[in-house]
Amino acid sequence: MRDIEVGTAHSHGPGVTKGMLQIGYLPEGYPMEIPVIILQGAQDGPVMWMHGCVHGNEYCGAYSIHQFIRALDPAELRGTVVALPVLNITGFQRQQRMSPFEGYNGGDLNRHFPGNPAGTLTDQMAHHIWQVFRKYADVHVDMHTAMTPDTRWALFAPAEGPAGVRAEAMARAFGYENMLPTPLSILGGSSLVEGAKAGIPGLIVEAGGLGPSFSMETVADVAERLRNVLRALDMLPGATQQHAPATFFSDFAWITATRGGLFKRAVQCGQRISKGEIVARFYDVFGELVEETPSPESGVVLATGAGPLMPPGEIVVHIGLNPRAA
Amino acid sequence: MQAIEIGTAVSRAPGLAKGFLKTGELPDGRPVRIPVMIRRGAHDGPVLWLHACVHGNEYCGAFTLHELVHGLKPETLKGTVVALPALNVTAFEKNQRMSPFEGYAGGDLNRCFPGRADGSFTQQIAYAVYEQLRRHANFFIDLHTAMTPDVRWALFPNPPNEVGRAADGIARAFGFSSTLPAPSDILAGAAAMAAAQDGIPSFLAEVGGKNANYTQEAVSDAAERLRNVMRHLGMLEGEVTQYGPLTYFSNFAWVHATRGGLFQRSVRCGDTVEAGQEIGQYFNLHGDPVGAAQTPHAGVVLAIHSGPIMATGETLIHVGLDPRPA
Repeated sequence: MRDIEVGTAHSHGPGVTKGMLQIGYLPEGYPMEIPVIILQGAQDGPVMWMHGCVHGNEYCGAYSIHQFIRALDPAELRGTVVALPVLNITGFQRQQRMSPFEGYNGGDLNRHFPGNPAGTLTDQMAHHIWQVFRKYADVHVDMHTAMTPDTRWALFAPAEGPAGVRAEAMARAFGYENMLPTPLSILGGSSLVEGAKAGIPGLIVEAGGLGPSFSMETVADVAERLRNVLRALDMLPGATQQHAPATFFSDFAWITATRGGLFKRAVQCGQRISKGEIVARFYDVFGELVEETPSPESGVVLATGAGPLMPPGEIVVHIGLNPRAA
Repeated sequence: MQAIEIGTAVSRAPGLAKGFLKTGELPDGRPVRIPVMIRRGAHDGPVLWLHACVHGNEYCGAFTLHELVHGLKPETLKGTVVALPALNVTAFEKNQRMSPFEGYAGGDLNRCFPGRADGSFTQQIAYAVYEQLRRHANFFIDLHTAMTPDVRWALFPNPPNEVGRAADGIARAFGFSSTLPAPSDILAGAAAMAAAQDGIPSFLAEVGGKNANYTQEAVSDAAERLRNVMRHLGMLEGEVTQYGPLTYFSNFAWVHATRGGLFQRSVRCGDTVEAGQEIGQYFNLHGDPVGAAQTPHAGVVLAIHSGPIMATGETLIHVGLDPRPA
C-alpha cells in the first residue's frame, strides 16, 4: 500500500481512483486538465505508468488504455497502474497531433520531455507531466498509432543493461513481431528515451492508425497484449503468453514528403522492401501521376502515410533497418 | 465542334482539356484556382457536369472523378464530361469541410448556390462555379462523402416534371439501394437543388467517409456506376446494368449531437432502426460509459458519426424516413 497522488487523483490503497492533472492553462484562463486513473492492486509491486495521445489525434491509444483499465481488477493486481489516456488534450479536441495553442517552435510534445516550467506551452505541458511521471514510474508504456490501420510495431528502451532486460521482456510479452531496441541517441525528448536515460524501462506501442481509422478489434487486441505485459512483470498472475519470434532492427528511417500532392501508398505495414522499390505515388489535382517515390533504404515497412493529401514534410514511410531474427 | 471554355480549360476538339477556374483571391492577392477537366467525345452528345469536394475534405469524390475521366476515350464517348474534382480547394488543402478563409456566416458551400458575386468568400466561390454550371451542364452529378467508409446513399431533386423524371432515371442507373427523391424544400442552396430549379436534372451521391475514411473499392465502384449513368444517358455504348430494386424515402432526418465526448457507433449504414433505438455509446475521458445515443427517428441509417470524439452540433446520424420500394 502506498500513497500515489497525480493531480486530483489520490490513491491511498487498493482500488480505482480517478481525477484530473492540470498541465497548463487555456488562453481564456480555464485550466488545461487531463484525465488520470490510478488502479492500485491488493498487493504491493511496481508502478506501471501508461499514457496515450501525447499526439492529440492518436485516439486508438486512449481507447486501448480505457479498455485495458476497465478489465483490470485491483484484487488480482500486484502493484499499481497509473494511466493518463489523453496527454495532449487540446490536440485531442481539435483532431491534431499538436496543440492548436502552441504558437512557437516545437509542438510535438513527445520531443519536449523533461520539459521546462517557463518555456513554450508544449515545454510547460511536458514539465507538468514529467514531474509526476519521474516520481512514480517504475516501468512505462506509451501508446501511439502511426497513420494507417495496419500499423503493428513497437519500440523499447533502453536496449541494454538491467533496465534493458526488463524493457525487452515487456516488448516480447506485448508480442508484436517488428520491434526496435531503441538507441538512446534517437527520439530525444520522448518520454521513452528520456525515461530510459533515467533508468525507467519503457515500451512504445504503434497500433491502429490516426483519427477514426482504428478498429475496436485493434483496441481489444492491444488491451489483451497489455495484460500479458503485466504478467511478464509479475503484476498479474498467470503464465506469460509466448509470442512468435520477433524481428529486431538497428534503427528506423523516417522518410518525409519533399513535395505536396494527392498521395497513394504503394506498400503495406510489415512488408519487406528493397532500396529503390516504389513506396508511394504522388498525383496532381487532375489525377495525373507526378512522382513515384523510391525507398532510400532496404528493410521492413513499419508505417506509411495515409493520404489522401500530403503536405511536404509529412511522413511517407517509416522503415525498420537491418532486420534480424531475435 | 463548338468550343467549351471554363476558366483556362478550353476544349475545341475530342480529348482531354485541363485548366483552372478562378473562384476568388487569397489575402496575399493570389488567385484561388480550382482544377477543371473537360473530356470531349468524338461524337455529339450532352454535357455531363460532375464536381466533388464542395466540402473540402470529402476526397473520395475527387479520386472517383479522376478515375472516371482518365478511363474515358474520345472514340467511344458521345458528348462531354466536365469534371471539377476540388471545388472548395482552400478547404480541400486543409482537410476541412469549409474554407479557413471564410470569416462570416455560411461556410458551407453547398448551402450557397447559386451564389453571389459580391457576397462572402464562400458565396463568391458558389457564384463563380454556378455561372459555368448553368451555362454548360445538361446533367449534373455532385459527389459527397458522409462520415464512415460504409456510406452508400443518394438523393435527387424530384420536381413533378421532366427534370425530376430524368433525375429519377439517373438515380436508377447509379443504382444505390438507399435513394431519396428529395422534396423541393430541403437543402436550400445546394447546387443540385439550384440546378434542378434551373431545369438541369441533378443527382447527388454520398460514398464513404471524410479524409482517408474511404476505400479504393468504393472509388472504383462509384466510377463504374457513373459510367452506367453515362450508358443510360447515351453517352457510352453498352447495356445499362440493372442494380436491383431501390428503396425510396419521403425525406431524411439530420440529427445533430446534443452532447459531446468519446463516441463509438453501434449501427452500420443500411441498418433499419426503430425510433429510440440505441445507435452508439458515449464515454468520458476516464473511459467510463456515460450514456447511449439514440435515434429519434425510425427508418434506415444513411450515415452515422464515426467517433472517436464528438462535439455538440456535429452530425450524429442521417436517417432515411418512410422507406418504400421505389
